[in-house]
Amino acid sequence: MRILVVEDDPSISELICMNLEAAGYTPTAVFDGIEAQCLLRSGKADDAALALVDVMLPGRDGFALISDFLKVQIPVIFLTAKADVASKVHGLKAGAEDYIVKPFEVLELLVRIEKVLKRTGRGRTQICIRDVKIHLREHKVTKGGIPVALKPMEYELLVTLARGRNIAFSREELLNRVWGLDYMGETRTVDVHVGQLRRKLDFYDIIRTVPKMGYRLED
Amino acid sequence: MKLWKKLSLITAAAATAAVGLSGAAVIHSSFVYHEKRAAESCMEQLCATANALGVELENSNVESFGETTKYSYTNYLIRKYGAQQYILLQDGEEICNLTEYRLTPSSIKKWQQETGYGVIQTVGNKRLFIVGKALMADLTKGYSLVLVSDISEAYGECKRQAWLLFLALFGCTAVTVPVVFFATEKILKPLGELKDAALDIRNGNLGRRANVRSKDEVGVVADAFNGMAGRMEAQVEELAEVSERRRLLLGSMAHELKTPMTSIIGYSDTLLHVHVREEQRQSALTHIYEEGRRLERLSAKLMSLIGLYENESIVLEKTDMGVLFERVRKLEEGPLAQRDIRLEVSCRMQEINGDSDLLESLLINLIDNAAKASAPGTVVRLLGKNHEIVVQDEGFGMPKEEIARVTEAFYMVDKARSRKAGGCGLGLALCGRIAKLHGAQLIIESEQGKGTIVRVRFED
Repeated sequence: MRILVVEDDPSISELICMNLEAAGYTPTAVFDGIEAQCLLRSGKADDAALALVDVMLPGRDGFALISDFLKVQIPVIFLTAKADVASKVHGLKAGAEDYIVKPFEVLELLVRIEKVLKRTGRGRTQICIRDVKIHLREHKVTKGGIPVALKPMEYELLVTLARGRNIAFSREELLNRVWGLDYMGETRTVDVHVGQLRRKLDFYDIIRTVPKMGYRLED
Repeated sequence: MKLWKKLSLITAAAATAAVGLSGAAVIHSSFVYHEKRAAESCMEQLCATANALGVELENSNVESFGETTKYSYTNYLIRKYGAQQYILLQDGEEICNLTEYRLTPSSIKKWQQETGYGVIQTVGNKRLFIVGKALMADLTKGYSLVLVSDISEAYGECKRQAWLLFLALFGCTAVTVPVVFFATEKILKPLGELKDAALDIRNGNLGRRANVRSKDEVGVVADAFNGMAGRMEAQVEELAEVSERRRLLLGSMAHELKTPMTSIIGYSDTLLHVHVREEQRQSALTHIYEEGRRLERLSAKLMSLIGLYENESIVLEKTDMGVLFERVRKLEEGPLAQRDIRLEVSCRMQEINGDSDLLESLLINLIDNAAKASAPGTVVRLLGKNHEIVVQDEGFGMPKEEIARVTEAFYMVDKARSRKAGGCGLGLALCGRIAKLHGAQLIIESEQGKGTIVRVRFED
């Protein structure tokens, strides 16, 4: 899934691309406003599912670019250092799906991207990890074509880890995301479920324990 | 109490007191004069009567008369001379007294002196002048005459005058008080205007001035006040400008910090949480290192800029420009050669009054800027002649409308290129400040695609 990254600072552009790539997306970096406009008007970017756009860009700024994005129906998330409320309101009113202020957290960025994709109907329908396929619509998991029986919480945990693949989650984070904020259980629950997933899917080398952190699904 | 009330009350009181006191003094002296005149005339009258009486007594040989005859005779004589004013004494005994006044035995002796003795007494509501004298003739030895004269009239006159004086005082007060009231109020009116102006200024209307045209002390104070207000207004404006500049500087600084911070936080976050390939890991580390270095450069430049802003003046010493140019050439030649840029230095300048460290930093900044804008294989020239230092390059140049803004802190004409070359947008702001501290002008001429010329023009 292609994501356009319109950012003039090369190091931040590379940072975003690096994370998108790790999360399973295909990033395309664009470094200034005019280049982005040309790309959109030539129709070469039509297959992009989303665009992360900086506001202060050389050539044309992000606010001026948004109409071009809307024309080819690519949802836009602004990613900018402009933290004032006026800019946020302006950006969102202009038609952006979300507005993230720098410096940002990688996990937050990825979750917001996921949410926007889901909202605009571009969410993934299946996730593949080696021979395991997660059918998101059917809530089904197959391994080598054979269905694997997972309990509801095991399935949710697998989806959370798979959506944030290559990103480490702490046990608390997983508890909050999968079991909900009001769940009173212990982090031990997470360990038990991870153990079940590893056993049922043979994911011993895929769901890795990150020392002092938690778990990470690597492919 | 208001000043004008105080002043008018004091003036009125002083005027009334002066008039009253002087009036009282006049009345007193006139009274003393009148009393003295009355006493003198009484004394004269007594002397004359005593003489005449003495002669009559002598002639009539009164001693040879019997007691009753003597009494009748003296009565007759006293009546003849002075109606009911006289008392005749013989050896301290009243032998004839037709007055209403009775002598007290203890005082009788006083009236038997030869020179005459007088005293003023108040009896009832009357003022009496009593004067006595011994009769002079030999025969009438032992006789003395006492005159009791009513001088109440002199006091009545005094009372009348005092009453007049009181009226005069009343009139004087009635006239002075309102006159002084109005006069002081009018004189002090400009003070009210001054007060209003001060209140207006307190309420934030700094442009307000006191409109006082009089040339007296109040006018002088108003002039001084207006001068003060003007100076204050100018100072406040200056402060506001300085704080606005500081605010802008801080704002752009915060923004300038945000980009490297985003990189550093983002990359380290990625390294901590995300499983990335080895070459990506290396790249992330390199970025963290480079952005850290950029922050360090930024902070170093900021420190020197803040240092220069806090020093309003620097110590200017005679600086040999030839030596300075040579030092700069040694420092810059190497780094420029690495980018295949040639540095040409020519100095036809004498000494200049300046701080050699700051001038060095100025030249190095200008040369660095020139080199950043230059393509490999070109030349950067550092020339010094007369009162002008020129740094010239054959680089990209910049659009005319940018020239005015390049000395602003954090302003970059081409952000991407400037960052790539390690710039942080403070170099020219620093140069501008150093030039200003030397009383020099920073003149920038540039043509896009042909290069930039920066002139530092010192005053003669």
